Amino acid sequence: MTTKMAINAKDIFRNQHRLIRFIEQSIRLCSNQSLKAARQKLSENQADDFKITSSVNTEYSHSLEPIKHDKDLGHLFKASQLTVRLASPQQLQPKPDNDEALGFGKLFTDHMLKIYYHKSLGGWQKPEITPLENLVMHPAAKVLHYAVELFEGMKAYRGVDGKIRIFRPDMNMHRMNLAAMRSGLPTFEGKEFVACLSRLLSIDSEWVPHTDTASLYIRPTLIGIDPTLGVASSDSALLYSILSPVGSYFKSDSSGAVSLLADPSYTRAWPGGVGNRKMGSNYAPTINVQKEAAARGLQQVLWLYGEDHQLTEVGTMNIFMFYINDKGEQELITPPLNGLILPGITRDSILGLARQWGKFKVCEGVITMPKVCELLNQGRLLELFGTGTACVVSPISRINYMGQDLYIPTMEQEKPVHERIRETLTDIQYGRVDHPWSVVID
Amino acid sequence: MNMLLRRNSSQLRLLAAAAARSVSAQVQLVRSSSTDNDSSAITPITPSTHAIGKTNITRKPSHVADVDIKKSVFISQSHDIFTNLALEDWLYKNFDFSRHHVLLLWANDPCVVIGRHQNPFTEANVSQLLERGVTLARRNSGGGAVYHDRGNLNCTFFTPRERYDRKYNLNIVTRALFREWAIKAEINERDDIVIMNKKISGTAAKLGRPNSYHHCTILASANKLHLGESLLKEEANYISRATSSVRSPIRNLCDINRNVNVSQLLSAVGYEYLRTAATSLEDGGSAQTMNQRGFQLINPTEKWFPGIEKLRASYSCWEWVIGKTPKFSVEKDLELKGDEHGIKIKLNVDVENGLMTDIAIKLPQNEQRIPVVTPLLGKPYTEQNLRAIIGALQLVSKTNVQQAMNGSI
Repeated sequence: MTTKMAINAKDIFRNQHRLIRFIEQSIRLCSNQSLKAARQKLSENQADDFKITSSVNTEYSHSLEPIKHDKDLGHLFKASQLTVRLASPQQLQPKPDNDEALGFGKLFTDHMLKIYYHKSLGGWQKPEITPLENLVMHPAAKVLHYAVELFEGMKAYRGVDGKIRIFRPDMNMHRMNLAAMRSGLPTFEGKEFVACLSRLLSIDSEWVPHTDTASLYIRPTLIGIDPTLGVASSDSALLYSILSPVGSYFKSDSSGAVSLLADPSYTRAWPGGVGNRKMGSNYAPTINVQKEAAARGLQQVLWLYGEDHQLTEVGTMNIFMFYINDKGEQELITPPLNGLILPGITRDSILGLARQWGKFKVCEGVITMPKVCELLNQGRLLELFGTGTACVVSPISRINYMGQDLYIPTMEQEKPVHERIRETLTDIQYGRVDHPWSVVID
Repeated sequence: MNMLLRRNSSQLRLLAAAAARSVSAQVQLVRSSSTDNDSSAITPITPSTHAIGKTNITRKPSHVADVDIKKSVFISQSHDIFTNLALEDWLYKNFDFSRHHVLLLWANDPCVVIGRHQNPFTEANVSQLLERGVTLARRNSGGGAVYHDRGNLNCTFFTPRERYDRKYNLNIVTRALFREWAIKAEINERDDIVIMNKKISGTAAKLGRPNSYHHCTILASANKLHLGESLLKEEANYISRATSSVRSPIRNLCDINRNVNVSQLLSAVGYEYLRTAATSLEDGGSAQTMNQRGFQLINPTEKWFPGIEKLRASYSCWEWVIGKTPKFSVEKDLELKGDEHGIKIKLNVDVENGLMTDIAIKLPQNEQRIPVVTPLLGKPYTEQNLRAIIGALQLVSKTNVQQAMNGSI
């Protein structure tokens, strides 16, 4: 097979879903007309398409350092020790008829994963999968008093071949362990936890619809359950995970853009704090601010920091800006990991992909509101969007800042970068493209 | 001879073919009419091996070790016969069973389900079913007619074709009955499950590539009165080559043991399925169950299974339920009113694709046909329409008939 043929085959494979869609729409002709038209469309897309290669360039992605466990941590758990208690038919929950009833995180699947840690019993105990049930704990449990809690958010996707995949689970595990170290909770082996999660997913796999646009939200949580009031490390902890089926779109972000409230009097994170860790204590104080934004007719909060009103995060997502820089070139920029920013996995994936594409400059730097206003006035601001596991990308169309409404032309771009990013990421997540980031678990 | 009488027509044909090939009587032959007979592959099997039921032994299937096959029990949330038939079809056409065997458990609201090649009019009174709110459906597998209601549990065992094993499936059911209620059930040569010679389950199957399924019913606490009433046809002489059902005396499990009900039966059969090894009847207990994928509720809507609405429509449409009836004729003897004695005539209606294509009277003396002029010609055949024609004919006076007879001579 010549090199030329090899390239064409790869392109066709990569674009097959678009090709199939096109062919389905065109009239069934016995002549070559529809085929010719399809080939033409392919070649037009080829020119400005961002090639997804199945290798991850190591230059653009940092490998994760292994977690150093505490010397008196005790035993680590292994997935091979997993015991399963299956739900009986009476304990199963009926599945809803359609998406309207679903919302986000309102319905959960039939089973959960639980792993206890007790220092007095030697360390981590055997993992178990049980029917979804309430937790029982002592009223003095640390999590209830000092928010000794951390969590993660990941998704399982049913790919086009029917197999279930998860996206870069190793990164979530690393992030979880770093947060555990900060809150005096025990660390664990991420690989073993992912293996236990895979078993849980295979048991509850029918909670993922058989369409190719559906996903299951995974919520691993680690809490300190030591029944003592002292502000100290937990000698007992519970690592558990529950699953929640999510609808195909999110009502507020579906193909429409969001409007933000940017009020510098509220601060989400500060230097030396835990803005860069996914802990529950970061989120409780944001609820009232979100309520205020909603009261003002705005959908999310844009978190600012400092005298110069640095943009940090949007709601619970990272933020990206696509603009024309001082040298006149296109640039994609996101705030750096300076301790205020949660190191999002979608954020990291976008940086890696964009650097691999090499179509525009990719940068991690501080963005301030005055700079945003300046770029907007000069017509150099092209797109602003939030990124996260829940909706992949969320375009921003309006910011209410210091009483003024700023209109961002994100949705008015001809070939928006955020759309390209969304398509590429979902292609990888749903297995339309083979990529090491998307791990098959079955 | 007794054995032969208990089989229906399609099974008779298969048996004759087998006899012609002089294969031993132990061979598992009874299959639905939609399958192809791999005559080269059938070899005599002894009952002791667990390979009973594996019909294609010469072809090497892609071998998956028993320990790698995981099992699930799917429980359908729907009680509509058409939706459940569509779900069965969707799984058969779209699911990959190579490492994942599935048992689908479902129960329906009152309905009569006929086999693929049957004539609904010889199995039940279709007009009456409609009046009494009992749905009529035609399934995709062969076999006879059955009455379903909420007291009847349906089990569909899905596997890849090479691991199709009917005896294994039926044994799961009998073992579950014994383990849960100490009920001793037997499997007869027609693959029915019987207790003290009364049938509690009937079986049908569909073998295709790459998937296959075997489904059976289990009568737990069905309404026997409704069952009898629903499977009564209109009195007439039906000339039809469709598969006819073999009537068997039936019994509910709750007649044998008062504690039996459908939800407990569902659990019992499900757990027995999960605790048994994938291809051999070895019980692995709770250790085996723990390694499986367990029970799952299934909601057969378009959201969870895209394409299922279309399948449901194809099962519920008139063209499938009635229209697929093989050509048949109905004959009824009538006596027309006369002066002293009546004239005996025979009413004959030909039905093709569910529509009445020819309505005529046959005179007893000669075989002449007098066509009957009625606006009902070309309309769908129903028992009500038949009675309407009979009613109209009985109003005709004897003189009219004599004139018509003389005119045609």
